[in-house]
Amino acid sequence: MLLEVRDLHVEFRTRDGIARAVNGVSYAVGEGETLAVLGESGSGKSVTAQAVMGILDTPPGRITGGEILFGGRDLLRMKEEERRELRGARMAMIFQDALSALNPVLSVGDQLGELFVVHRGMSRKAARARAVELMDRVRIPGAAQRVRDYPHQFSGGMRQRIMIAMALALEPALVIADEPTTALDVTVQAQVMDLLAELQREYRMGLVLITHDLGVVADVADRIAVMYAGRIVESAPVHDIYKAPAHPYTRGLLDSIPRLDLKGQELYAIKGLPPNLTRVPPGCSFHPRCPMARGVCRAEVPPLYEVSEVRGSACHFWRECLDGDGR
Amino acid sequence: MPEQPYEPEGAIAGTGMGGAMDLGASEATTLERGPGAPSGGGPAGRPRSLGSDAWRDLRRNPVFLLSALVILFLVFISLWPSAIAPGSPLSCDLAKSQDGPGPGAPFGYDGQGCNVYTRTVYGARTSVTVGVLATLGVGVLGSVLGGLAGYFGGWPDALLSRTTDIFFAIPVVLGGLVLLSVVTSNTVWPVIGFMVLLGWPQISRIARGSVIGARQHDYVQAARALGASDSRILLRHIAPNAVAPVIVVATIALGTYISLEATLSYLGVGLKPPSVSWGIDISAASPYVRNAPHALLWPSGALAVTVLAFIMLGDAVRDALDPKLR
Amino acid sequence: MATGGEPVLEVSGLVKHYPLTRGVLFKKQIGAVRAVDGVDFTLGRGETLGIVGESGCGKSTVAKLLCSLERPTAGSIRFKGEDITRLSGRALKAVRRNIQMVFQDPYTSLNPRMTVGDIVGEPFEIHPEAAPKGDRRRRVRELLDVVGLDPDFVNRYPHQFSGGQRQRIGIARGLALRPEVIVADEPVSALDVSVQAQVINLLDRLQAEFELSYVFIAHDLSIVRHISDRVGVMYLGRIVEIGRDAEIYEHPTHPYTQALLSAVPVPDPEAREDRERIILSGDVPSPADIPSGCRFRTRCWKARERCAVEVPALAVPAVFLERPAGPAAHDSACHFAQEGRVVPPESSRANGDGPG
Repeated sequence: MLLEVRDLHVEFRTRDGIARAVNGVSYAVGEGETLAVLGESGSGKSVTAQAVMGILDTPPGRITGGEILFGGRDLLRMKEEERRELRGARMAMIFQDALSALNPVLSVGDQLGELFVVHRGMSRKAARARAVELMDRVRIPGAAQRVRDYPHQFSGGMRQRIMIAMALALEPALVIADEPTTALDVTVQAQVMDLLAELQREYRMGLVLITHDLGVVADVADRIAVMYAGRIVESAPVHDIYKAPAHPYTRGLLDSIPRLDLKGQELYAIKGLPPNLTRVPPGCSFHPRCPMARGVCRAEVPPLYEVSEVRGSACHFWRECLDGDGR
Repeated sequence: MPEQPYEPEGAIAGTGMGGAMDLGASEATTLERGPGAPSGGGPAGRPRSLGSDAWRDLRRNPVFLLSALVILFLVFISLWPSAIAPGSPLSCDLAKSQDGPGPGAPFGYDGQGCNVYTRTVYGARTSVTVGVLATLGVGVLGSVLGGLAGYFGGWPDALLSRTTDIFFAIPVVLGGLVLLSVVTSNTVWPVIGFMVLLGWPQISRIARGSVIGARQHDYVQAARALGASDSRILLRHIAPNAVAPVIVVATIALGTYISLEATLSYLGVGLKPPSVSWGIDISAASPYVRNAPHALLWPSGALAVTVLAFIMLGDAVRDALDPKLR
Repeated sequence: MATGGEPVLEVSGLVKHYPLTRGVLFKKQIGAVRAVDGVDFTLGRGETLGIVGESGCGKSTVAKLLCSLERPTAGSIRFKGEDITRLSGRALKAVRRNIQMVFQDPYTSLNPRMTVGDIVGEPFEIHPEAAPKGDRRRRVRELLDVVGLDPDFVNRYPHQFSGGQRQRIGIARGLALRPEVIVADEPVSALDVSVQAQVINLLDRLQAEFELSYVFIAHDLSIVRHISDRVGVMYLGRIVEIGRDAEIYEHPTHPYTQALLSAVPVPDPEAREDRERIILSGDVPSPADIPSGCRFRTRCWKARERCAVEVPALAVPAVFLERPAGPAAHDSACHFAQEGRVVPPESSRANGDGPG
């Protein structure tokens, strides 16, 4: 496995007390695989990614347990310098907001070239040439002319392409994309997702795609991990999950999105709100919102039950959920 | 910070509403009936407003109480200095020059042999008057001009911005020397007038920026869509949300105005003896600081405590007006 | 045009240009951002018109024009026959009671320094004739109840609520004056997925309860389809195609609509192999520099010479007029309109997801 997160715990100190943002998360991504981490705001999906990248703000954040194995080595035990060398070269990140992730006072060519100067020891001129190549690769029209332009001179879609170019510049083994297309328009979203998927196949890199959009996941992911209140509640190959979810939260999410091809009278809505992370409900954290909740759900935290060899669900009643009961 | 949804306290999945709410089955929203605000007087208590909530908050804020106490005391001695200070601030006895504390003079005597305690108490009137009135004048003029310019924009805004630029170019001390030297009256009014004249652009600039920031929020659009008048929008929606930076800057400015009065008096263009002010005393005592530090210490200390009290008051009021900090 | 009942709103030739100026003292106009550039539609009583489009297409400006938050450069908006674009003062205030807005961002659309009771009660203070003074508190509590909030929340401040609850507060404020039309500008796009459905259902329920007409503006085509009776597709300040929801979604004839529909990610991995996607090249041109002729031609794979010269009118394309009127015969501003199925018809996957 390229990346293995094992039983990761992250806490945040907030005014209301300690927020357990990540509460025992485990997932793995192989070479050339796309893992989608799906969750709402507050589910801990981005915090997990920040912990993997080593860009978590500490304080207020604190990693209180677990391991993050990258190529078999635990990142959490590495020296900061070693991790810094890995970042950018072996693992890279794509952010949602490309405008604030790029430096506004440097031309995009300088920012792309910088990577080659720092990590590969190239000359400025050679680095500039590589920058143009990369911009071509992510299909920015007129790359040779636009290399001198500044980030604000590009449209949102083009900026996200530059972000992708920066992430892929040193051909990393792992790329984490945090809501890479959320800020983009639908037609541009499709362009950018297609490009990302294509480059991923070409470089055979592992991709962790963090998103809240079930549609985007269905389009590109191999596996999917659904997060809720700091835990993974369901993990499965993408086809299985859409065919028959094994966790009531996943099922609720799938049922609640209006679909182009299904115009119903009323949408299914998950009742209530995601929990406050400083006061996560006892037992299964989803039980106050769950239509299937029973006594045991309030008392016992469900482990990630093995549904099949490739599939897990953290629901005491995953069998019934799989059968579509209690809807 | 982690991405965190807010959830009202308690999160008791209460649904007491039951049948009263005509919600579809899947629309059964979890209603959190939290314990409500600490002293809410029952959940269905009287409707509250920002002002009443802020006042409730202030009443139990020790910082506010302490600073209010200090300020009340200052106001009291400004009005009736003779109540706590013996004698006249002008009756000085050169024989006692730079003497230490003695009977009726707990702070000792200054270079002219005046009672430092009496002079400090009497000086409060001038300093507090100058500080408070100059700040009020600057605050009102600056916020009104800056607020209107920021809200309406257009050519008045452009005119105001250029005017403030010009005022910023005037050096305060030099301006004071020139303008105040032609004034013969030995009262606080010319000094206050001068401070308002040169001080309002600072506040107006802050008020303008802050109003422009508040104006862009959707809640202002929402009020307009409801048909709210400009004055309602300005007073109800923009002012409460734009006032915080003005309060902060104004309270800090208050301290500067008291010191500026001292500076101008020291330069001989502010108040002149026989007027009594902390500024005059500080400047008079500074040459003898080695021999008679107490003559400098007490008026300076009074000045520092006063400025601090106003800054703390401003801080407390600003926090009380922000429901998010409650 | 087929509408549900008599029209409440009739919009014709609506234009909003923002001048681009240079110079500080002597402002010289050097161009204009043509945010809305000739929009026509009608809204029937109790009907929901969805307006979809990408960012910068002018859909939010349309919302502001409808709510008289901006004055149009040209064109008219008739509310029950009366043109409201020239009104001011009392007459404008009176008309505002009938057209209310729900905003996108539940975090900035509520004044953080007002209690929920004050926010929802403000409409009554502005329009005292809407409710007698002694009755207002009761009305506010009723409104909170209607949108699914505990009426005892009146003394709380907006920051004590989650996004979905704030949006309910905004909806309650919009309902206070019993408007006939609600313009909702991206009302759920800032909310979490699991909460979006709650708010959509609420809007659905309120429409039936209060006989509201909605103009529902969004970029999410799935949500727009769910809630709308008719849908208009906007591109660069104009509606390029408009019709009943089934006409637009199942029988789109404008290439932009087809591309837009094909780009929507469908939450069904089975569909990803057999779906044909039209990936448009490039970005939306700037509204300050709109292409001549058909404004979509720079990204259109069908574009020919004629498209650069002649502006296509929004009407039923001639090709569809000859045959007996089918679902493809609806207004579409394309010289080469052609029916293209992008979304599989409803029946074929009615039970496609979930077990048995």
